[in-house]
Formats: sequence, structure tokens, C-alpha cells
Amino acid sequence: MVTPAADTKENPATLQVMRYDARRGTLSVIVGDTGGIPREVLGQRAVEAMRARSFICHTTESDTLLGADEICFIPRGDRCEIVSIHTNGWRRHHGDHRRSLVEILNDLAAAVARGTLTFLDEAELATVVAEGQAVLTCTIDDTASLAQARAAVSQVLADHGVPAAARRRLELCVSEATTNMLVHGGGGGTMRLLRVDGRLRIVVADRGPGLNFINWTEAGSRQPSMGYGYKIILDNLDRVYLHTGDEGTTLVLDHTL
Amino acid sequence: MLHTRVETADTPVIHLEGEIDLDSAETFRWVVTDAVRSATEVVLDFAKVTFIDSSGTGLLVRLCLDYKSQGVQLRLTNIPPAVDDVFSMLKVRSLVGDEAFLDT
Repeated sequence: MVTPAADTKENPATLQVMRYDARRGTLSVIVGDTGGIPREVLGQRAVEAMRARSFICHTTESDTLLGADEICFIPRGDRCEIVSIHTNGWRRHHGDHRRSLVEILNDLAAAVARGTLTFLDEAELATVVAEGQAVLTCTIDDTASLAQARAAVSQVLADHGVPAAARRRLELCVSEATTNMLVHGGGGGTMRLLRVDGRLRIVVADRGPGLNFINWTEAGSRQPSMGYGYKIILDNLDRVYLHTGDEGTTLVLDHTL
Repeated sequence: MLHTRVETADTPVIHLEGEIDLDSAETFRWVVTDAVRSATEVVLDFAKVTFIDSSGTGLLVRLCLDYKSQGVQLRLTNIPPAVDDVFSMLKVRSLVGDEAFLDT
């Protein structure tokens, strides 16, 4: 059982992402930290998942040793991606339509497992955002700019012959990404659209405090968030990259033309 | 941008036109809140809604559930395909109940 923290504002739910490299036998941290879980334990569990060639999730109920509320080990070739959440007593469910933190974590982990989502470290992000040719840049700094960003992307997609149904889905994903940035990303940021080989790449970047789960499903928060933004993005795009840290969050949405 | 027009009657009808997102959420909330003051049933006509995202849908679901618990039924009608796609992704029918949809 998780005991509710005395002050969740100072002890928010956190996301951790790590990567175990089986060839080198090394563990690197991509998001956050190891969450207090010993590195050797993470390495052992990663090897176990890789041997089983299976996506393995542990919860506190099944494995108190790991400490996290839920931790997922996802084999990808000769590496194992490790995604975990510490809710620190944050309410897991509201009993209404909003998604719980663990459900959101599972959306992210499932997307990593099926190859849609890749968490990037800083160096990997630098490579991804340097590719291609810039087509469009928008500043997102108030709610009115959300519709402008959608319209601008829609126009570029139409110019590239993207069919109406696919355009609508991409507009929706852009809306989710830019709204998340505005609400949770320190008040705004930029959206860039790039042409990379046969793909259109949308880069949504803020300089906020980094992605964590505080306010994501908090009662009385500014927006009646359902916690579905990331799920919509991950269910409707071919490839998504995510980098987050103390200096901000960057979400990269790829659409194959 | 969201425009609204309210047909006042025993069962008021709110005609919605444009986009329902974070920017128009307050307009949307206000027009519904105002219409339910004097009614136990309010119809939301989505015929001219061109876009909705999870912010708009989340607010809609919240309003449907909150008013239902206060004895007021919101009924949704003329859902365009683009809006219906999002409602399907977010399982809106199972969240608010089939009775919230006038066309079923």
C-alpha cells in the first residue's frame, strides 16, 4: 500500500525512464533518476525481461522490492527500456472519467513496447531536431495561439497532399501537444514543422520544469484534463519522440507522407 | 473560436459553431451553465462544430456528469464525423451514457 504523502505539492508523482544496454551491461538514466531502486536490481530485471523476450510490468503489490508504484521493462533489440512511476501517494483514480496516473504510465509503456514512442536523452534529441528542413515556426503563448498552430499545420499538410481524415487526426495531435505545453510546460513554447525525407516532423518544445505528473489529473486544475492527451498522440501517429528534463520538454511527432 | 446561439424554450437548445478547445472552454462552460438554470434538459447541437480535442471533450463529459447528478440531462445531437471520431477515441458514449445522445 502507498501511504499518502503529507504534502503532495512538494512530493509530486514522478516519471523515470532508464535504458539498459545488454552489450555493455550499462544502465543509463533518460528521464528523472533511478527512483531509489538499486541499479543492480534494475539490471537484473532488465535481463530477465530480455531473456523472456517479453514486456514485463511489476507493481508494488507484486514486487515491493522495486518501490515504484509500477515499473515496466520493455525489451527492444539489445536494449531494455525501463519506465516507472512513483505516485508518492497521489490519488490513483478519481472514480470518474479521468485517467489514473498508472493508466497514463501504461499508455506510455505500451507505446514504447510497440515502437511508437522513443524517449530521448539530450544528445539524441539534438540529432532528431537538427534533421530536415524547417517549414514553419509558431510561438504558443496563449490559448488563442492553439487554433493558429492547428490551422498552420493543417495548411502545410494540405499543401503536401495529406488526405482530410489524416489531416484531422494530426490537427488533433497538434492540439493535444500544444495544449499540454501551454498548461504544463511553463506557459508556452514553440512549435516547429520540419520536412525530413518522406516525413513531416512537428517539434513542440517548452522550457518548463519538465514533465511530471503533478496536476495531470488533479481535481480542480485549470482544465478538466482527462489525461488522454498523450494517448491520443500515441494512438494516432507513426512515431513519437519525447525528451524531458529540468530545462524543458520536447515532443516530436512524425507523420509519414 | 466558438460561437453559440441559444434557442430558449422549455428545453433550451444551444447551437454550437466552431472549435471547442482550451481557448473556448470558458465560453462553452458559461453558455451551458446559463442554459441549465431554468431547465431540467438542455440540448447541445454540434452540427456546426468543426473541431474538438480532449480539453473540450473533457469539459463536456464533466458538465454532462455534474449536471446529471443535479437532475439535469444534457442531450447531444447532430454530431459531425470529425467530432464523433474524437468521441469514439475517448469513449464518450460509455462515459456519459447513450441517453445523452439524441440521435440514438
